[in-house]
Parts: sequence; structure tokens; C-alpha cells
Amino acid sequence: MFELATVLGSVAPVLQSGAEAGGPALDATGAAALAVGLAALGAGIAERGIGAAAMGAIAENEDLFGRGLILTVLPETLVILALVVVFLTL
Amino acid sequence: MSVKTEGSSNYEYVTARVRARRAKLFGDDDYRKLVRMGPGEIARFMEETEYETEMNALGARHSGVDLVEYALNRNLAKHFEDLLRWSEGSLYGYIARYLRKFDAWNIKTVIRGIYTDSDRSDIEDDLIRTGEFSERLLDRLVDASSIEEAIELLDSTIFGGPLEDAYSDFERDGVLVPLENAVDRAFYGHLLDDLPSAEPDSPTALVREFLEAEIDFRNLRNGLRIARSGADIDPAAYFIDGGRLFDPEELRQLASNDEELVARIREGPYGDDLDVALEELEDADSLIQFEHALDAALLEYSGKLSNRYPLSVCPVLSYILAKEREVENIRAVARGREAGLSVEEIEEELVIQ
Repeated sequence: MFELATVLGSVAPVLQSGAEAGGPALDATGAAALAVGLAALGAGIAERGIGAAAMGAIAENEDLFGRGLILTVLPETLVILALVVVFLTL
Repeated sequence: MSVKTEGSSNYEYVTARVRARRAKLFGDDDYRKLVRMGPGEIARFMEETEYETEMNALGARHSGVDLVEYALNRNLAKHFEDLLRWSEGSLYGYIARYLRKFDAWNIKTVIRGIYTDSDRSDIEDDLIRTGEFSERLLDRLVDASSIEEAIELLDSTIFGGPLEDAYSDFERDGVLVPLENAVDRAFYGHLLDDLPSAEPDSPTALVREFLEAEIDFRNLRNGLRIARSGADIDPAAYFIDGGRLFDPEELRQLASNDEELVARIREGPYGDDLDVALEELEDADSLIQFEHALDAALLEYSGKLSNRYPLSVCPVLSYILAKEREVENIRAVARGREAGLSVEEIEEELVIQ
């Protein structure tokens, strides 16, 4: 959590400098891109655990390959939903 | 002496594999079939299961019930080595700490082997090659020509110091009891080493809870055995520190009185889990029945913990216990059939969750 705060802290001045120049530092498309990026990050974190568990299950029983694959990519739906935001801003 | 580890743990991977393996353990039906088989049939049955590789590998050198027993041991070692191979980080530390149980077993086997002048190959067959000791150390232990030499080899391990202390007692009395006690005490004494009493629900706290339960159950069993055998031994002398149910003084008082002991356990933290075992203790006069009930209770308790905390060390420890039980059950069936016990008698010996 602490690392996230420092990251945000370093981003904030950039946003502010943009505001001083008149326009927003991040226009709508940029913000949408950020949304997709963050969603992908979240999906990646979620897949880390599921993927590890799925590999374990497949190692024990090869028939579980299909099920393991589906469960592993399930968090990927997050990114697809986040893509909706991009289309809304275009 | 703690196990040095670094990096983060891979609970997901290890628990997934362990759960798959646990599901493959023998169930009620398999045991029901096994109990009704003769020794030869048991061996043939085992060749078609999980134990196939080991049965084939050892089939040339051994036969009958010995073959079954050695195959069981080797399979056990294989699975537990796998656990150590997969796990990383602090998870490895937790598992390795518990698997030192087999280091203790190996040391006892070697000491007994040297004491009885057994062949090198006989001792080697009885080793369970898992735990913290390297293959090389085990080989050198088997090669040791005297107990003193074996103890010297163990100098750098947790067992070295206690064994050296016990050696003079052994020399004076000429019995193995002091040495074996020293080994067991070293194992249990180091079980809770460097485990801080962490905040609840953290991985460390769970390991602690599990190991404390194990120590409590061990104390309970020792106390009962002393009480039931009527021997004039001070239970407190065999007390293992670290449990949360008794302190030595209490155990001494309770060991002489069955009813109070049962009441005390019922009030304690394991009261609910031990319900069945306690009832068994109250009606049965046989200590063996109660010990089996205790084993089943520990198994159930570990199963409960592993369902409550799926991504923790609990499923792994619970698997280790279940696998050990399976090996002991099959051994009991095989030996029982060999000795010509009846089906009912053997079924009483089994501990099935």
C-alpha cells in the first residue's frame, strides 16, 4: 500500500503542472488508457495465483488442462470490460 | 536451529498439487477390499495403484509383506521429497521443520541397526529418505561402525548436542532408551523454534496452532500411557514444552486420574474436535482404542484447519498426516493378514477419517 502512495505522490505534481498550463494533464483518451492499464495490472495479479494453482492441478492430472486454462484467463474479462471505457471515449 | 529460506512462498501451487494427491489416497472402499485380501493379493492390489513404481522396483529383492512395507516407505519418502522440491520461501521452512520427524526416524533406525549388528543393507532398506538430512549424510550414517561414530556425524544437526549428552547414560545402562528419548525431544523441542507468536490468521500463527496441537496430543498420549501402564514414572519428566493444553505440573496431577483428565480436555480448546475420542476413552478400557481415536481426531482437526485456511501451510501438513496414516493402515492390514488376524480385529487397528 505504501508503494502505491509514493507512486501517486510522484504523479500528482505532473497532473498539477498540467493544470497550471491551462488544460487537464490527462485528456479523456489518456485517462481511458490508464483505466485499461490498471485493469490489466489487476488481472495480472489475479492470474498469478490462479495460474500457479492451475499448473499444480495440471501437473497432477492432465485432464484438468481445459478447466485450468479457463479459470486462469477468467480475470481477463476485467480488461475486456475496461476496453469498453476506451470505446466510450472515442 | 531454523531452516534458512528466502523469497516469497508459492502456496497456490503447492496446495493445488497436495490437494490432488490427497484426493488420491485410499478411501473407505479400498480399505474394505484390502482387509479381506490375503498377503499375496494385497501385494498384487498395490501394484495396480499409486505404489506401482515402488513395488516393481523392489519386487526383485523382497517379497510378501516385506515388499509391501518397503514399497510403502519408499513411496512415502518420494511424496514428501516432492513437497520439499516444490515449495519455496517460508513455506519450505515450515514443511522442512515438520519433516525432521523422518530425520529422527532415520537416526533411530541407524542406532538400532548398529546396536543389533544388522547388515548395512538391512538398515538401508528401513531408512525413509526424506527430511533435512542429505543423501550423503544418511549414507555415512549407515556406514558408521559404532554408535559413537554415528553421533559424531550428527554433530552439526539439531540432534548432535542432545545425543552426546545422552551417550553417557547409554554407556552406563547399555539400553537405547536414553538415546531415543534424546532424539525425540530434540525433534519436538525444535518444532516451535523461531516461530514468533504472530498475529492470528497469519501463516506463522497457523503453523504454530497446528504444531501446538500435535505437541498437546503427544503429551496427552504419553500421560495416558504412563497412567494406564501403572508404571512409577513421573509424567512431567517426559513432558514436551510448547503445547497450550497442559503444563508439566498439571499433567502429573491429571495422569493419575482418568476422569479429571477427560474433563480437562473437554473444557480445553480441542473439546469439540475430540468429542468422539473422549467418549471412546470413557467407555473403552483399551488404551489402543483411545490412541486410534486421538489419531483420527488429530486428522480431523488438521482437515478442518485446511478447509478453514485453504491458502496456507495447513493443507500440506494435513496431507502429510493423512499420507502417514495411510501407510500405517496398509502396513497394519498387511501385517495383520500375515499374522492371521480376523477381519474385525484388523478393522479395529485402522484409523480412517
